[in-house]
Formats: sequence, C-alpha cells, structure tokens
Amino acid sequence: MSLLRLCTFPKCLSGRILLEISVRRVPYVDHCLTIRNNIERHISEPPWTSQRRHFSALIPKKEDGKKRVWEQSQLLDVLKARIQQLQSDVIVDVQHEKVQFVKASKSGIGASSGNSPKNVFGERTEVPKAGQTISKGGGQTGKGEGKDASASKSRWMEKLSQEKKTKTKKLKQKLGLEDKPVKSSKGKLMLPGTSHKTISTKAGIKTASTVKKSKTLKNQEHTMAASKHEHTMAAAPVAAANVPIRKAKGKGKASKEPAPELSEARNRAEEMERKAEAKAQELAEVEELERKLNQWAVSARPELVQDNSEARVYGDVQRSVRCYLEACVFCGDIDRAHRFLLGHHRMVSRRNLLNIGLYNIMMRVWAKKGSLNQIGRMFILIEEAGLKPNLGSYCAALECMGRNPDCSPHVINRVLRQMEEDGLPVDELFSHCVFRQDERDMVLRAIHTVQPDFQSSINTILQTCSSPLVKDFYTERDLLAVQRLVWHKALVGALREGKIILASSTQKAVRLSLYPYLCLLDEKDYVDIMIQSLSNLPPSGESLHILAKELGNRVHNMFCIRMKGHNQMVDKLSHIYNEYAELLAKDSKEFDVLPRERWWKLEAEHSSGPSLLGDETHWPHMVVVELGTYLVDLMVKHMKVNSDILNSAYDRKLIPVLYHMYTFRSNKQVGFIKPHPILTQMQQDAMDTTLTFDSYVMPMLCPPVPWTSAKFGAYLLTPTKMMRAVEGANQHEILLEKCQDADLHAVLDSLNQLGNAAWRINQPLLDIIISIFNDKGSEKLDVPPPNSEAPKIPRYNQQDSATFTSAEKAHLKREVVNAKKKCSEMHSLRMDALYKLSIANHMRDEVFWFPHNMDFRGRTYPCPPYFNHLGSDVTRAVLVFAEGKPLGPGGLEWLKIHLVNLTGLKKRSSLAGRLEYANSIMDDILDSADNPLIGKKWWQNADEPWQTLACCMEIANAVRSPDPTHFISHFPVHQDGSCNGLQHYAALGRDVIGATSVNLIPCEVPQDVYSGVAQQVEEFRVRDAEKGLKIAQVLEGFISRKVVKQTVMTVVYGVTRYGGRLQIEKRLKEIDDFPKEYVWDASHYLVHQVFSSLKEMFTGTREIQDWLTESARLISKSGSTVEWVTPLGLPIIQPYHRSRTQMLKATIQYLSLQITHDSKERPDTVKQKNAFPPNFIHSLDSTHMMLTALYCYSAGLTFVSVHDCFWTHAITVDTMNKVCREQFVALHSQPILQELSNFLLKKYCSGLQSEVKSKKFLEYRRMLLLLAKVPQTGNFDLQRVKESTYFFS
Amino acid sequence: EVGKMKGECFRPLGRYDFLDLGEVEENTQRAQLCRTIKRFIIDPALAKLVTHHLGPDLEESKAVIFECNPGPGVLTRTLLNSGAQRVVTLEGEKSFLPDLQALECLLDGQLEVVHCDFFKLDPMGRGSMRPPAMYTDKLFTDLGISEANWTDEVPVKVVGILPQRIERSQLWKLLYVLFDRLSIYRYGRVELNMFISEKEYLKLMAKPGDMLNYRAFGALWQMACHIELLHKEPWASFVTSSKYKLAIPKSRLPNDNLCLVRMTPRKDLFSASLTPSNAATLVMMVKQCLAKRKARLVDRLNMWSPDSGPKLLKEMGMQEDVLTGHVYPEEYKQLFELVDKSQEFTQSWLYEEVLENTQKEGWI
Repeated sequence: MSLLRLCTFPKCLSGRILLEISVRRVPYVDHCLTIRNNIERHISEPPWTSQRRHFSALIPKKEDGKKRVWEQSQLLDVLKARIQQLQSDVIVDVQHEKVQFVKASKSGIGASSGNSPKNVFGERTEVPKAGQTISKGGGQTGKGEGKDASASKSRWMEKLSQEKKTKTKKLKQKLGLEDKPVKSSKGKLMLPGTSHKTISTKAGIKTASTVKKSKTLKNQEHTMAASKHEHTMAAAPVAAANVPIRKAKGKGKASKEPAPELSEARNRAEEMERKAEAKAQELAEVEELERKLNQWAVSARPELVQDNSEARVYGDVQRSVRCYLEACVFCGDIDRAHRFLLGHHRMVSRRNLLNIGLYNIMMRVWAKKGSLNQIGRMFILIEEAGLKPNLGSYCAALECMGRNPDCSPHVINRVLRQMEEDGLPVDELFSHCVFRQDERDMVLRAIHTVQPDFQSSINTILQTCSSPLVKDFYTERDLLAVQRLVWHKALVGALREGKIILASSTQKAVRLSLYPYLCLLDEKDYVDIMIQSLSNLPPSGESLHILAKELGNRVHNMFCIRMKGHNQMVDKLSHIYNEYAELLAKDSKEFDVLPRERWWKLEAEHSSGPSLLGDETHWPHMVVVELGTYLVDLMVKHMKVNSDILNSAYDRKLIPVLYHMYTFRSNKQVGFIKPHPILTQMQQDAMDTTLTFDSYVMPMLCPPVPWTSAKFGAYLLTPTKMMRAVEGANQHEILLEKCQDADLHAVLDSLNQLGNAAWRINQPLLDIIISIFNDKGSEKLDVPPPNSEAPKIPRYNQQDSATFTSAEKAHLKREVVNAKKKCSEMHSLRMDALYKLSIANHMRDEVFWFPHNMDFRGRTYPCPPYFNHLGSDVTRAVLVFAEGKPLGPGGLEWLKIHLVNLTGLKKRSSLAGRLEYANSIMDDILDSADNPLIGKKWWQNADEPWQTLACCMEIANAVRSPDPTHFISHFPVHQDGSCNGLQHYAALGRDVIGATSVNLIPCEVPQDVYSGVAQQVEEFRVRDAEKGLKIAQVLEGFISRKVVKQTVMTVVYGVTRYGGRLQIEKRLKEIDDFPKEYVWDASHYLVHQVFSSLKEMFTGTREIQDWLTESARLISKSGSTVEWVTPLGLPIIQPYHRSRTQMLKATIQYLSLQITHDSKERPDTVKQKNAFPPNFIHSLDSTHMMLTALYCYSAGLTFVSVHDCFWTHAITVDTMNKVCREQFVALHSQPILQELSNFLLKKYCSGLQSEVKSKKFLEYRRMLLLLAKVPQTGNFDLQRVKESTYFFS
Repeated sequence: EVGKMKGECFRPLGRYDFLDLGEVEENTQRAQLCRTIKRFIIDPALAKLVTHHLGPDLEESKAVIFECNPGPGVLTRTLLNSGAQRVVTLEGEKSFLPDLQALECLLDGQLEVVHCDFFKLDPMGRGSMRPPAMYTDKLFTDLGISEANWTDEVPVKVVGILPQRIERSQLWKLLYVLFDRLSIYRYGRVELNMFISEKEYLKLMAKPGDMLNYRAFGALWQMACHIELLHKEPWASFVTSSKYKLAIPKSRLPNDNLCLVRMTPRKDLFSASLTPSNAATLVMMVKQCLAKRKARLVDRLNMWSPDSGPKLLKEMGMQEDVLTGHVYPEEYKQLFELVDKSQEFTQSWLYEEVLENTQKEGWI
C-alpha cells in the first residue's frame, strides 16, 4: 500500500483522464530510444515524482504476525456460506415471483394513475429481495416461503393443471391408489393457499379504494377472481413436487396388483413388474434422491427453475430496439425515436417485443423536456401494452415533475402513493436507478416538495465509466501525412453524403436504420477511426468481417465514453477516484479495508449527482458489424491515391487504396479487404506506421478502479467486462447479474489484488532487446527479424517454365507458397514484437498497472492484450515489480534457484541440488550479466533466455552489494505447479500413485509425471514385445519422456486419442533413427499405451473425467446447458450451442455470421461434453489461484499469477508457498464433487419428473442416477501436500 | 463360377469367354458388407448401359479404362464381356481385393487390380502415404502409362461414382489439377465418366443469366471440358453399403437422379496465351468475377487495373454495363487472354495475388 501512496496522483488525475480521452502519441522504437516523449509529463508532472523515484527505499511491510483474525477467517466464511447456500437454500434468498394481478384500469393522467401492482422484478438489473418485497407489496407478509416457492412454479403448474383437467379425471376414478395422495397433498396446501388469498384480496381492495373514480366493481371482481385463479394454480406445484414420490410408490404397488383397464397404466405396470424385481434397488435410490430433491424444491430459489426462460426474455430483439432508441436519443433525434417506439407499439406483434425499459427510454426524454403531458401518455401506452411501470418509469415521472416548478404537490403525492402501492419504496429509486446529469437532483426536488425532509438512504454500488484513450505512435513522413489529409477530406465528404441519403430514405418506422449510429460522434471522429484502422491492416489483407468488427467496436467504445461525458459522470468519477487513491496511499488504520470496500464507502459518501454505474447496453453484434461494414465500404470507395506517387514512371491514375475481393477457404467464399501494394510501400517507407492503440491496450498509469460489482471496475472510462465472452454472448452476464453481490466478493477482491500489483520496466534489459530488434532480430532469442531477413520469394517466368517438367513446376509452386507464408508469418511476428516493445519503451520510466478480468471459467488475464506479464519470454523479462523488497536471509538463494529453473536444466534435482549447481556456475552467471552480447553468452542457451539474463543481472547486483540480505530486489520469483491439471485431478480422486507422481506427496527430489508415464508405457511395451507384437518390438529404445510429454500434459485438458496420436506422430518423426514406415502404427500403439498408463496411475482421475463427460452429455441431451458454481461462488456456464447463421445484407457484400452461443439453440452436445472436464478443472485451478491471491493479500505479499505459475518477491517466496499449499488443502477438503453433484441434481433434475412419458422419463432417470453417483475416492491423505516441497516449485 | 473353375483347371480365359456376373442377391449382400459408405452398380442392366455409353467400340478403343471402386465387380465383368481391351480397377476397399485379384489371374492381362482409391490420389497433406492413398506418378508408372501431349487422343477413361460426401470438393480438386495440368492430367486429356448427383450436374451446366446457379465452378468446367450428359438413373437403382439409406442431399434444384456425365478436356484449352503456368490466374479471375454475379464486369476489371475495363470490353465487343453473371465461359477465357497480353496488367497487384491464393486454398 505504501507504494500506492507514492504513485497515485491526487492532484492531477482529472488532467490524466482528459488526456486519456484524447489521442496520445507514443514514440516508435526505432527512432526514439533517446527522445522521450513527454507530452503528458509536461502537463501532469506532479509534485510526487521526486518521491516516487525513491519509493523503493521505504517499504513498511506487514509481517505475518500482523494478520488480523478476520482476514483469515473471511474466506472460510465465504466458503461456508456458499456451502450452506448450496445445501439448503436460505429463505432470504427466495425470490419472489410475479404474483400477477389483473390491474384495475386507471383514470386520470398516466403518472399518477394505474393501480397496476408492479412486478417485483423491476428490470433485469434488480436484485430481488424476497420477503421484503412481499411485505411492502402486499402490506402483509403471510407465510412467505411455501407460498413463494409455489408461486414461482406457476408456469409449469399451469401445464400440470391442464393435464389434470384432461386426463386426471379418469385416472382418479380408476387408480384409487393415486387419488389419495393427491388429495392429501392438496389438503396440505390449503393453508398457504388461503393466506395467499387474503393478501391478494386485500391488495385488490386497497387498489380499489385508492382510486377515486376507479373502475367499477366488475374490475375488482375481475381482480379477485384472477388472483384466486392465480393461487389455485400456485398451489399446484407443490402438489406436483410430491407427485414423483407418489408415482414411484404407486408404481411399486401397482406391479403387484392386477393392472387396471387403462392401457397406459397397464403398460406402466407391466414395465414396472419387470423392473421392480430387477431394479428394486435402483428404485429405492431414485426414491431417495427424489425425496431429497423435493426438500430442495420446497426451499429452492425459484430462479433455478426459471433460469432459461428469463435468459430468453432478454433477447436480441429487445437489445436491438434498445440500442437503436438510445442512439436516436443520444443524437437528439427524438422524433425518430418516438416514431419508432410508436410504430412498434401500434403493431400488436411487435408490441409484444417491447419491455418496460424501452418505454422508459422515451419517458426519460420527455422528462428532460419537462413535458408532463407526454409522460402521462407514456403511462397510458405502458398500460396498453400490459406492462407495469417500474422504478425507472416513476423516476422519470418524478424527474419531470421536479423540472416543473409549478407542478402541484398533489400530483407528486399521487405518484408516490402509486409507487407505494406497487411495492416500490422511494428509497429504491436512489439505490436502483441510474441517474444522468442532474436527474437525481430533479427527482429529489420533486420529492422534497411533498416531503421536505426526505433523505435517501443509500448504500449502493455505483457504476463506472470507461474511456478509450487513443494513442498514437507517430513518426511520420510528409508523404503519408499529406495523403491522410486528402483521405480525411474525402471520407468526411462521403460520410456526410451517405448520412443524408440514409436520413432521407425513411422506410417504415419500425425498421432499424444505421442512421442514428452515424450521428453519435462527430464526422471527423468516424473518419479518424477509419484512417487509423488503415495502419493496422496487414499487407496480406484482412477479412471484411474482422475489419468491420474492429471499426464497429471502436465506434461503440468512443460512444460509451462520450455518453459518460455527456452524463456529467467524468467529474464525479475523477473526484471519487482521487479520494480513493489518497486512501489507498495511506497505509493507516484503514489497511484492513479492501479496495472494493473503500470504493464503496466513497461512493456512498458522494451519492449525489450522476451514478457512476454506466447503464450502457452493449450493442448487438449485428449492429457492430453492420456499422463497421458501412465504414469499410466508405473506405473502399473513397480512399484513392495517385498511381505515380512512388514511381513517376507510371501513368498517373487515381487508384483505390483498398480493394474488396474474395478468398476461398475450403470452398467458402470469404470477403477480404486488401491494401494496394503502394499503400504498404508508403507505410514501410515512411517507417512510421502510425500505431494507434485504444486506451485499453496500454497498461494503466494509475491503479485500476477496483471491481465493486460484475459491471464496474478496471479502466476508468473504457467499458470492460469482468467476464470475457464471445461477441454477443450474454449468458455469463445474466448469470453474474443474478448472483447475490456478496457471493462474488472473493472473486472481485482477488481480481483487484492482481490488478493492484504495480510494475516497472527493467530498463537495461529493454535496451538490449531493442538493440537486437533494431539490428535484424534473432530467431534464436525469439526477437523476430524484420521482413528484409525473410526468404526471397522464388519467381519463375514463362520462358523458364517451358524447360521445367511438370513435377518441377509443382515443386516450384509449392516453394513460392511456402515462402509467401513464411513472409506473412514473419511480418505478423515482427509487428507483434513492435507493439510490445513500443509500449514497453513508452512506459520505461513509469510505474504502471495491469487491470485484470477473467474468462468464463474464472481464469484471470490482464486486460491489455499486447504487453503484459502473461506474454512471451521477452515481455516477461522486461517486467519487474515496481515495489522493491530486501532479499532477506533466503532471498538470494531463491533467486539462484529461480535462475536454474529458468534455464530448464536440473529439473530432477532437489532444491539444494539446483542451488549447488547455481553456485558452481557463478562465473558464467556474472559473465552473462556483464557481457550479455560479447561474453560467453551462457544465458542464450537457456529455455527462457531473456528471463535468465535478467535474473543473472539481478544476482550480479545482489552479490556485489555490500550486504545481499539488504539488497532491494524488484525481481519476481516464480513457482510453478507441476502439471497442475493432474494435481487437481489427483487431489479430487485422492489417488495415491497419481498424487505422488505430481508431487502432492513430499519426496526427496521432484517427481516427474512424464517420466513416470514413459516408464509405465515402456513396461507395457516390453510385455507386448515378448508376446511378439511387431510394433512393440520396433519401438524398443524409442520411448522417452519427450515422446509422451505433450500428450500427458494435454490429456487433462481433454485431448482425444486422435489428437494424442498426432502429437506422438510429430515426436516420432523428429527422431531421425525411427523407421518412417512405422510412424503411423507406432503412434497409434503409443497413444493407447499412454492412455492406459494414465488410467493405471490415476485411477480416480479417469473415473472423474468420465463421470464429468457423461454427466455433461446427458445434461446437454436433455436440452440444457451445463452450469456449475465454483467453490468461491462464481457461476459458470458453457456457452456452446448449435450454430446458427445470420445474414447481414450490406452493400459491399452479404456477410453470413455464424453464431454458436445463442441460448435459444439447442446445446452442442459434443462440445458441451468434451469441454466440461477441462473447464471444470480450470474453474478449480482458478479458484486455487484466487484463494492464494486473497490470502497473500492479507499476508501483505505482492502476488501475481500466470494461471498455475505464481510470482512474488524473493523474500516472500516461502510465505507464498505456504499459503499456496494451505489453500490447496483447504480447497480440496471441501466435498467438491459432492457439491457439484448436488448442484447439478438440483438444477437439472428438479421439476422434470412430471413428464412421465416413457422415453423421456427413462432418460431423465438415467441422468438422475448418474448425477448422483459421485465417483469414489482413494486413500491419499490431503494434508501431506502441506509438506511437499515440489508441489509448486 | 464357371470362369473360376476353368481358370484353375485349364488356361487363362480368352477375351471371348463370357464372365458370369454372379447373382444379384449375392452381389448386393457383398456390397452391403463394405465398411465405408458407398454406392455400387449391381444391376446387370445398369452395368450394361454404362458399358454401352463407354463404347461404342470398346474393342477398338486404345484408351485404358479406370474403374473406380468396383466393389463386387459387376461393371468390371460387363466391361470385359463387351471386349474392353484394358481395364484397371482401382479398389480402395481391401475386402473386395481378393476376389478381383482372382479374376485378374484368370485373365490374360485385360484386367489389372490396384489397391488404390481414385479419389485419394495426390493428397494435399504430408501424412504417411499408405494405400489406398497414392501419388499419380506411381500409379501411372506402375501401369506403364507415360505422359502424353495435350492434343493426343484420350489416353484414359475413368468411370465411377463420385462419393457423395466429397462430391463438390473432388470436382474442385479435379478442376485445379486440370488447369495446372498436374496429377492425372499430366498424362493427357483424361476423360471422366462419372455419376454425379443431379443437382451438381445442373450447377455444372448452369448458363449465364441464371444468377443463382451460374458460378465459377460451372463456368470453369464448361470452359475446360466438353460436358455431355449420358444417362440419368434414379438413386434407388444403386446399392448402398450402409445399413441405413444414404440420405439424398436436399437441394433447391431437382435431385432425383444420379447423372452419368462425360467430361472430356478440350483440345484447344491451352494456347499460346493460356498455359498451365498462368491458368491459375484465370481460375482466380473467374472466381473473383463470379463471386458476385450482379456486379458489373467493368468494375471488376477496373479494380485489377484502373481505367482498363472499358478498353477491354470494347475490344471484346461487349456492352459497358454487362454483369459478370452474363458473361459466357469462353468469353472469360478470351478476356483473360487479352488481360494477359495487356501491358497495363503487368503492374497489377492482383496478378501477384492470384498465384498465391489458388495454390494455398485451391485444393479441397
């Protein structure tokens, strides 16, 4: 924390943010090694710079002893809470379902009218609170739980009751057996049923009485009748829940009795007769399970059942409409928006697509205008559409009244009353609504006119804004610059024209047009985006789809930021951020407050003004691509250049710079945009490719905003998703939104900790790398050479070709292809390195941060894509911790061991052995450090040469310092899990042999699972060879660790026999002596042996893997997507569905988009099942990492991770190792598989029982039994991990 | 059976001995045992009809007949019975080999049996080459067939059924090797007599103006070959090896039959300006043009070389606003020859691109 204090910029932040919005230029590596680009420093050189320079000297650090009790117990608490929640769902969590009342129709102006009770769900963002809402809504609590559970199931109980109507009558008579239970269950249900009734009746009466001139008794009766109907229905689900048991019992009996006449029943009875005997046991099991399920069902959160349906409600159409409206409104085209909404509203088929949120958008607009009349009208429309106004609607109404100074208190009172009736507490306005500009004040003003001393009690999460800082690396020559001006002018003109055409072609009001999306930014901004995109275009071209997506996304990003500026959010943000930074910097008593909590507190203190939480909607993928395509079309049509610009010998013609053409990939036609060679030439000549980066590509120069909810965190202005997802996939977001906030805290906090690690550039090393980069690169050292080093593309002309035979021609052609391929590969590698090094160079004097987010399995990643610590050897070597710590007594030794680890030598030696080795080669180490490029170059032969070199330098500096134990080291030391996936499997299955081979059990020297497998395979081979198997004999002497390594490593992640064979084939081909004709057979044989060896060694692993796979298969076949929750409470869903094509008819070409994540499509069973085991294991390893991160935070360590590789300072390695082991044990001490099984059962097996259609029922039962059958575990004693030195090493 | 007995006891069969085709029942059963899903000709009448179309003068013709995947060998025997001089059966399925080889022994060189799948000749991957995959030069060298001039008579006639699943990619692959004169076409103008699905045939023969179906695929085949529809036979006449019926692909186009189509490469395909070495550019040009059939040809040409479009069209005697989907295959060929001669196109970037793309993406 002390570090943060020194590095935050209390005073200059707002300046920074502004800068971030504007474009920044970053010097190009080639030219600017010496010239520093100080634009921003001039502006923002703060008083603290001098401080920062020396910050490494002061490092007050919390020692282990200082740990607070609560910090330690905190996580355990989280875990425990989670378990409880899973085992029996808590009443508080019960979500209230819409209890539908038929609204008595209103009178008077919309705002104040409408007795329509509200639907408790509000909008999708709302977190439902159970009992609370009920009491507020109905004014009476009643017997909450049972009723709620039943209400929630109203949908399928409806089905059930219908079924009953048609079928049950007969059944009742004939199956006396079944009759009684039905009755009894009904009887039981009467109680909650009645209580419910009273509530609704009261509500009905109340509504009636409050409305003065309200409608007629008829309506009331209607209401009451409806509510009655409602709960007879509501009663049913509980009955239904009881059915299965009854059925099972009933059947058991039926089998002994003569079959009734009813053929269905007879069949069933016969079937049961057979099964009852054969599978009496199974039945008992099923019964037992179902009883359990029923218990769950009673207390279950209704949301479990309705998950899927809700996901659908938030569909694509609504998103499109919403974005469209927002875009129209933003660019001030209210007329268009209004017409559009009305257009939809008037067509019944389209009206159904609208939701309350869409009306609210317009409502907000009218509120801004202070037009009470329009607001009233909107309420009428909402009424017509059969929707209920929600908080947002009332908020707009109040805002409008606040803007009208002469609005009578009477009217305002009516609104407030109305809200109360609808169960919407006024407080929630302030906690749940998103305010822009002065909206909050207006609402408050309205309320204050009637309740002068009203105070909103707020403790809410606010949202962030985002901003792309666009940065430019510029070193440009005139030619290109002039040309850019020309293009700029042409494009602005073209865009303007295009907009006029689009605007005037007013088609039907309901058709989405691109027009509003082209009005969001200034024309010149669009054009800037287009021209910038040119410099990132590879010479070989880019597919239209990708290009369009990029352009579209950049427009969206910029729009989001503009929107935030527009909503006056930036000021508030910078204000809060400054205070946050200041607080972070004080390592005062507040140290025990997590960054997230700190931010919360600050937001609560500054509750006035606009909300920080942006409510921007992500544009549908279609819109993004369509917009992008439109821009590409403009570029292709209007960017021209004179053909003689480079070579005056050519005739002067105006030629296009970009071309639209097609390439053909396995008979698919792919639209492609290619730059003209002249453009490529110009860019190369200018040596100045304008590297344009969006802000999120750069590391942050200030600590990231902490994640305080799944929607807010990371960058200041750029919108960032906490969970990365495929374009357009929103199931993860929906799932996260549904989570209780508290459930996510552990995840949020660990992301925050990873993001709060400050970094610096290792300058001497960067200089060496850049010098090599500028001097032709080096493939051996992984510094990509420039294209001038690429192989020449062989040419052959027609004269020559006459003399070639056709075989030679074919060969020649192949060579041309290979050369071209190599060239384009080299180009992209070179560019990638250029980006990374340029960014590093730009950051060379800065302290910076990498904000983190995660993928859908919870694995964490730094957000900036090019330059980060996850990168290659080169980028990792350039990074060191900004914070320095003394080496302490053991630090130097850790540095040395780390060095040996980096070389890849001595993998099988003990730590002492490695240390000894390091000491024996001190000469080489010092030589490498002193003369990296002209000395013995020992470091160049290491596995990770650059990190090795960096480590050599660190060691040299340390040993030469007066006292190495006081040497301040910034160097990160890594500890790697040995085959981490298998470690988790072995721990899950408690495999003794497996656990030993992946170092879960303490050993003298590190165990190597690959050698172990190779040994086992060799045993099998010898046995087979003796039996006379030819291929086993051929393989004699060829089985090594190397041959099997890749396959063993990937088997955890789901590699198949097919893929495994290819891997082994590759290895065998690399062995020169191995007879080529046997490669296929040998690889085929070996992959089998590797799999069976693994099976032998990891008995449990295979079983678990199979169980996971089979579970996923059955779940997917039943039509659901596989979901689970990690032990830290992170919900996970696999977004694999059958693909669907969507056609985008753009002018330039038709684009067909493949969508594989549409939750409306059936799940893709193959992917669901193959991906489940690896995804599950990844979700566990990410949990382990997060736990380690959290506990390292409380121990005061600097901690970052690269998945299963953990980094910290040399002095704290021991502590980190201890934490890492403890957390592994803690994690696996949980009944992980049992909990998974419970979760899956609850999720996929409750609620299905009623469909006793033979085939489905059997499938369902199969799934039920399988999910319940958690694999057995072995005898491995988990606690031993704590003493295992080589677990992570 | 008679044949076998005789062969064992006495002498190789002469060309005038009649081979028994075997019972239809039995042949059907054998075909159905095949492990890969294929169609077979079992019906003697159908075999006769195919033979007839390969004729009429089988006894006189010097062309070698390659029969692809004969299976139980009904067509093989029918061909031999009608006096074919030299039949080579390329059988990919091991289980059919012994029987065919037995037949081979009985005969005096009229039949050669090779374990080879015609549709797996010259694969793109560099995997290990094990039969039935094979390089063409090995096959032809083993058979003693040498390279021939393009204008020579047809050296080889191939007869078979295109496997349904890879129908289209096979046809593309053949098209590429044809224009490049690689693979089987190194040995001259190999004539294909293939059963292909009706829909594919209709696409193959689509005419300019049919904006939906007239594509590079059809245009290039029509340009390269003389295409003749010999016969239409309902799907049901063939025996399928799969237990289940092989689903007949659905299509907008009629697809009730398999069509026996003869594709004879044109003698005059190559000329001074169109050679195998620049033909790939032609292929690319046609593909680019016909990717969008309603685009104006002049725009495409201008894209290749600015301002040259109108000039070329004038030379071709075409309307300025002609759509790419209205241009005949021969016209594309002429157009390419003009382009190839034109100085303006030598600096065209697209000319370079073309070579690369066809090679990289062309096959399968």
